[in-house]
Amino acid sequence: MLEYVFLLPLLSFAVAGLILAFGKWLPLKGASAGIAVAAWGFSQAFMLFVKAIQGTITLPYEMSIPWFSFGSTQATLGVYIDGLTIAMLLVVTAVSLLVQIYSTGYMHGDPRFKRFYAYLSLFTASMLGVTLTNSMMVFFMCWELVGVCSYLLIGFWFEKQSAAYAGKKAFITTKLGDLGFLVGLMVLFYATGTFEISKILELAHAGGIPAAAAGAAGILLFLGAAGKSAQFPLFIWLPDAMEGPSPVSALIHAATMVAAGVYMVARLYSVYALSPVAMDVVAWTGAITAFMAASLALTCFDLKRVLAFSTVSQLGYMMMALGAGAYTAGMFHLTTHAYFKALLFLAAGSVIHAVHTNDMREMGGLRHKMPITYITFLLGTLALTGIPPFAGFFSKDEVLVAALARNPYLFAIGAMAAAMTAFYMARALVMTFHGKPKDAQKYDHAHESPAVMTGPLILLAAVSVVSGWVLTRHEMFEKLVNFEGALPFELHHVSHSAVAIFSSIVAALSMALGLWLYKKRPDIPALVRETFSPVVNMLEKRYWLDAFFLKLVDIGDYLGAFMFSFDFNFLDQIVIDGWAWLTLKLSRLQAWLDDHVVDAAVDVTGALTLSAGRITRLAQTGLIQNYLLIVAVAISVFAAIAFAG
Amino acid sequence: MSLLSLIVLVPLIGALVILAIPGTRIKLIQGVALAFSAVCLLLSGLLYHLFDTSTAAMQFVQKVSWIPAFNIYYYVGVDGLSVALVILTALLTVLAIIYSFNITLRVKEFFFWFLLLEVGMLGVFVALDFFLFYVFWELTLVPMYFLIGVWGGPKKEYAAIKFFLYTLFGSLLMLLGILALYFNSTPHTFDMLELINQARLLPLTMQIWIFLALYVGFAIKIPAFPFHTWLPLAHVEAPTGVSVILAGVLLKMGTYGIMRVSFPALPLATKWFLPFLIVIAVINIVYGAFCAMAQKDLKKMVAYSSVNHMGYCMLGMAAMSATGFNGAVLQMITHGLITGSLFFLVGVIYDRAHTRDIDAFGGLAARFPVYAGLMIIQVMASLGLPGLAGFVGEFLCFLGAFEAWPYYVAVATIGILVTAAFFLRMIEKVFLGPFNEKWAGLKDMNLRELVAIVPLAVLTVVIGIWPRFCLDLIDPTITYLVGIIK
Repeated sequence: MLEYVFLLPLLSFAVAGLILAFGKWLPLKGASAGIAVAAWGFSQAFMLFVKAIQGTITLPYEMSIPWFSFGSTQATLGVYIDGLTIAMLLVVTAVSLLVQIYSTGYMHGDPRFKRFYAYLSLFTASMLGVTLTNSMMVFFMCWELVGVCSYLLIGFWFEKQSAAYAGKKAFITTKLGDLGFLVGLMVLFYATGTFEISKILELAHAGGIPAAAAGAAGILLFLGAAGKSAQFPLFIWLPDAMEGPSPVSALIHAATMVAAGVYMVARLYSVYALSPVAMDVVAWTGAITAFMAASLALTCFDLKRVLAFSTVSQLGYMMMALGAGAYTAGMFHLTTHAYFKALLFLAAGSVIHAVHTNDMREMGGLRHKMPITYITFLLGTLALTGIPPFAGFFSKDEVLVAALARNPYLFAIGAMAAAMTAFYMARALVMTFHGKPKDAQKYDHAHESPAVMTGPLILLAAVSVVSGWVLTRHEMFEKLVNFEGALPFELHHVSHSAVAIFSSIVAALSMALGLWLYKKRPDIPALVRETFSPVVNMLEKRYWLDAFFLKLVDIGDYLGAFMFSFDFNFLDQIVIDGWAWLTLKLSRLQAWLDDHVVDAAVDVTGALTLSAGRITRLAQTGLIQNYLLIVAVAISVFAAIAFAG
Repeated sequence: MSLLSLIVLVPLIGALVILAIPGTRIKLIQGVALAFSAVCLLLSGLLYHLFDTSTAAMQFVQKVSWIPAFNIYYYVGVDGLSVALVILTALLTVLAIIYSFNITLRVKEFFFWFLLLEVGMLGVFVALDFFLFYVFWELTLVPMYFLIGVWGGPKKEYAAIKFFLYTLFGSLLMLLGILALYFNSTPHTFDMLELINQARLLPLTMQIWIFLALYVGFAIKIPAFPFHTWLPLAHVEAPTGVSVILAGVLLKMGTYGIMRVSFPALPLATKWFLPFLIVIAVINIVYGAFCAMAQKDLKKMVAYSSVNHMGYCMLGMAAMSATGFNGAVLQMITHGLITGSLFFLVGVIYDRAHTRDIDAFGGLAARFPVYAGLMIIQVMASLGLPGLAGFVGEFLCFLGAFEAWPYYVAVATIGILVTAAFFLRMIEKVFLGPFNEKWAGLKDMNLRELVAIVPLAVLTVVIGIWPRFCLDLIDPTITYLVGIIK
């Protein structure tokens, strides 16, 4: 069964092409083919998961074929499967399958329905490539490919200027991080001499990579992860990415692609573990991101953007856990988060599908109209806020334990972010589903979504409720995903139960506060908004990060204009054409000199000769007496000279 | 007669046949041009098939005495460095001829010059006698001059004369270099392989002078900063098919020359010049990308992106390693395919809208899905998207150079970002957003255009997924080449 895993991405690739070429003639315009392949992929992943837990397959498993060689290096195409791979595989295939089912309803009637499914399959293929590959080079390639799919899907409704813009923004922001990734990859290659993940990990375990190289590679690669996983300061693209259709947000911008950065750090954890500096960079970037993004979600009125900031914040949590040395906790949170965040996005999509707006100020009271969406959203909210016994409680709790064990300040930041999370989710819940309808017309038109959409919601809700509890039974997840190497620092001892109680109380209180405020006393938030307007302004400007990056773009444009002006006006027009001009002038001068000096000199010589001839000709009289006279005079002169001497 | 001679001869015969056809028989002239270039392509396909990828030695060699008094031979052959370029030339010529069926002015002369140009280009890549090389090198110049000067845009005369004089200046310096090599060999010879053996032993100062003379000639063709300013002008003014050849093949003559002669023949000078070469490569990459970003004219943007992409090539060459050289040669091929098709695509829109102003369009993707799809594929390939042809070459260039010049390479990555920025901005402005109703009357691509562009798009994908189609040809020669340079 492991031998066939390589087919997962290949089939998804093939089906993407199939849908694009022949979708017209397939059932559901090709969606059926995409769903079938995704379902098969999920079944494979699930069986792998079960077998790995049972221990009936030997991990890690590796298989590859030669791809191309350059010099003495052989690049390979292949798969590398261990517990980490399987955990990620399960997330990718499950969410991909549910999102594809859901989209048959959500995208129903869209003129580019077929293309949507082709893109989704292409994305799934690339994401499976990221998950499965055995080579960091292929990892980077698939990493870039998911970026392009994200670009295409964010800008799927490209007639909307904002969607086209958001796609471009996402691509370029993540590309900025990818420059670091590329350089980090090269550092890693020259430190290890290979791209193969198994060899890199082996070498790292054996201490065969110098700490400085590991640290440099780790930090540079993390820049790429910061782009993809929307970490500070590169997270600016993710809120705008919500211009894409909601299923895309659920699949790409909540569950899978944005988790790829976290997965990358986990994949190369042995390398990171060689460098305390790199670990700290990961941990603190994660913590700052978790806090900042949670605060940004507080003032948002766009339902999907609240969820987007929440995603950024939770990704920060995962990074913080990994950086703090808690490998299992980070990946555990990635797993549970993927399900409940996908649920929240799909539920939000269901709402948006019904009311045709993202603005929570135009919603309200929808729980009567959309009971299934409401209940599933509620369950997702409870899972996200970390109320026991929902999934998020288990994973978030472990992240906080890890943070406390590493550094109390990390813990404090994490706890504050957790409090804010509960608060903004309560706010979103109330504004969307409770109270009185703000927009009567929209409310009247709203209706529950069809079964293809609510079905996935219910399934995801079930997973969000139980997955945390199930996966911690018999330390199931820990057995699957664990790190056996040594960490570069000591951890403090921490009481798990104390952290669990503390974090649950914080979440519950904060949520209760949010519910009470927005349900009973909406005047207070309004007052707070007015009183602290500078803070609110800062949050609405997103800490001026967008402005900062736009400034960079301006500088780039300015540089471009400057360089081109130099290129054309100076280099081309003055130096090159100037030279040509000078050559022309010089040759004119030469021609003139030729005319007036060289040629003139010749003419003058000629003229002189002529005049000399003319003068001497005067002596030629033709009279013999004159000649005799001259001869006589000459002889006398010579004689006089001779005798005188 | 060897296969190579046949490949060079076929377009020459074609050109002569066209001369014999009355200028009014347009269909016949087009047919003849297509037929001869297609035969040439088929023969080069045969070349690909017969080429032995296990050796670095010259293959399909033919050597005939030509001017015995000066020891000059008609001497041709190919190895891994040149074989792919020969095929690329044959392919792009056929496609450009097909695309150029829309030319209506002086059709006979156009295709005559076009086939003659092909002879020159093929000759440069197969010649192993430096004198013969020079003859072919100059042979490309005259057809190009007329192709730009007669069939070009509004400033065609200026562009043509500038191109001609600039490159001629370079070739004259190159000729000096060639003669210096000739007179420093005993017995005097133009045999490239023999010169490589002998010139290696010259003292450093001599090597430096010769390198410099050759370099200027080659650098103008690449074009390397600061000798690149003829390129945007020539590209913008040239007709579409000619731009394709110019970017796809002619630029490679420069990098090819350096790798064929300068590096192996003058290893001491190469080492001495290396710091300059890497700096110029980085300038080409970053500066070329920034200049492209400032462009409003689509064609000029693609032209400057060529400056940027040839910078990657030079980066790989400055690596002085098998990785970098493999990348550089692969980059030459893929740049030919990708930028060639980008110039075609620019031509498609210009033929319809009679403008190339990026700001004049908007939302075209909704009405011209085929055109938009092809353009997006090629743009993505050009900005180095994995899975498409541009990536592997670029990656190997960077990887190779990183070993020797990590900080320069880190700076050069800025070029990747800027390239992505200007191309995506172009896509956004031209294809996305609300449809600009001004262009409602335009039609999507026709058959002639599709036939010219689709093969390149297919190759872009195929080589992206399976780069061994190219790398297997290149690698043995590169390994050998790196060996003798080091």
